[in-house]
Amino acid sequence: MIKVKNLHKKFNDLVVLNGIDEHITQGEVVVIIGPSGSGKSTFLRCLNLLEDVTEGEIYVDDELINTPKANINVIRQKMGMVFQQFNLFPHLTIMNNITLAPVLLKKMTKEEALRKGQELLARVNLAEKADAYPAQLSGGQKQRVAIARALAMNPEIMLFDEPTSALDPEMVGEVLDVMKDLAKSGMTMVIVTHEMGFAREVASRVLFIDQGVVMESGTPEEVFNHPQNERTKLFLSKVL
Amino acid sequence: MTGMQLWYADFCDTFYRCFIKEDRYKLLVSGVGVTIKVSLLAVIIGIFIGMLIAMCNLSKRKLPRAFGGIYTDVIRGTPSVTQLMIIYFVIFATVNLDKWIIAAIAFGVNSGAYVSEIIRGGILSVDHGQTEAGRSLGLNAFQTMTRIVIPQAVKNIFPALCNEFIVLIKETAIVGYVGLMDIQKAGDFIKSATFKAFMPLIGTGVIYYVLIKILTLALRQIEKHLRKSDVR
Repeated sequence: MIKVKNLHKKFNDLVVLNGIDEHITQGEVVVIIGPSGSGKSTFLRCLNLLEDVTEGEIYVDDELINTPKANINVIRQKMGMVFQQFNLFPHLTIMNNITLAPVLLKKMTKEEALRKGQELLARVNLAEKADAYPAQLSGGQKQRVAIARALAMNPEIMLFDEPTSALDPEMVGEVLDVMKDLAKSGMTMVIVTHEMGFAREVASRVLFIDQGVVMESGTPEEVFNHPQNERTKLFLSKVL
Repeated sequence: MTGMQLWYADFCDTFYRCFIKEDRYKLLVSGVGVTIKVSLLAVIIGIFIGMLIAMCNLSKRKLPRAFGGIYTDVIRGTPSVTQLMIIYFVIFATVNLDKWIIAAIAFGVNSGAYVSEIIRGGILSVDHGQTEAGRSLGLNAFQTMTRIVIPQAVKNIFPALCNEFIVLIKETAIVGYVGLMDIQKAGDFIKSATFKAFMPLIGTGVIYYVLIKILTLALRQIEKHLRKSDVR
């Protein structure tokens, strides 16, 4: 579904990603862990070209996306993204946050989008907040709306960039629960997170990224219980 | 008669001579019309030019940025009276357009430079995450700008924009320089005709004040409406 070949990313002289090769297949839940500044968020943001790629190739459904010929707007419609800071649109109601893109991009009629919106809000347990504005919601509620907003485009894959890092501790659970449901439903997901318990429980594969390269990749059992790489061992000893 | 009564009689007489006699109030009424006409068209031109120049200044390309920079620099660096007279007597010297339209263009050109800075600041004040969220949903750059960034920027810059409009209305008091009879010029005309300074000039001031007060109150209502998504 997503193939990454020899991905390099530099910010001026700073090398953030130093050659990543990765293949994410349909239905996989890939959780990326690693220390701060390791490049894990940058890797995720490269997947839908929120960061432009310095070198290497990214294929989505066998289509090369980091080329001027690719229509990135169409490709991004297949990839939902959830941000650390939620980034809900504060000037729109919750329902309009969700229906804006599907209606504007003509994926659905207004009525279809509203029905889909209701369905998604019910799924994230926020049906009664349809007419509220983002400022009236708690952090956990905002993030659940952000997930619903991304799902409204019927994406094939969902990208999560530290979705619980900006939340108060008591709200982390409600967001992770929504993500677990999503994983169970068979959605392909790539998740950057510091929630090791969640990674262990939900991931079909864990990637440990450090110094811009994938140091270790395997099932949660392999990575958490039998890490091979010294840096992985060191990192896990600090966070577990 | 007491001093008070004398003063009152004199006041009434001057008032009569300045505003009622020979229908002089009509000058002021048509002056209000001219001021409003010029200001309104100038505001529209100003916002249009302001958006264009703001886009130039925010552009990634060098040429538009240079153009925007020079425009803002020149307009801010010269007095508006000079600009008005250059546009009226030089640029539009041979063009057959209504005086008030030329004046409105001059004030719009002037206002555009200031509005562009307000708009640029407003767009930059919207968090970059908003743009990323829009783009990640598949919206193109233009859709993201018009549906997500600009609506939020408008709310942020609305007070500054209102201030600019009020400045603009008062600035139009110089259109007398190109022979238009606005409020200021009408007051001035009455002063020359009656040899009275106090009454016509204070009257002029009061009319401007009332006009701007009404506008301020109306704009505040609009602002309240814009802020409705901020309720917690």
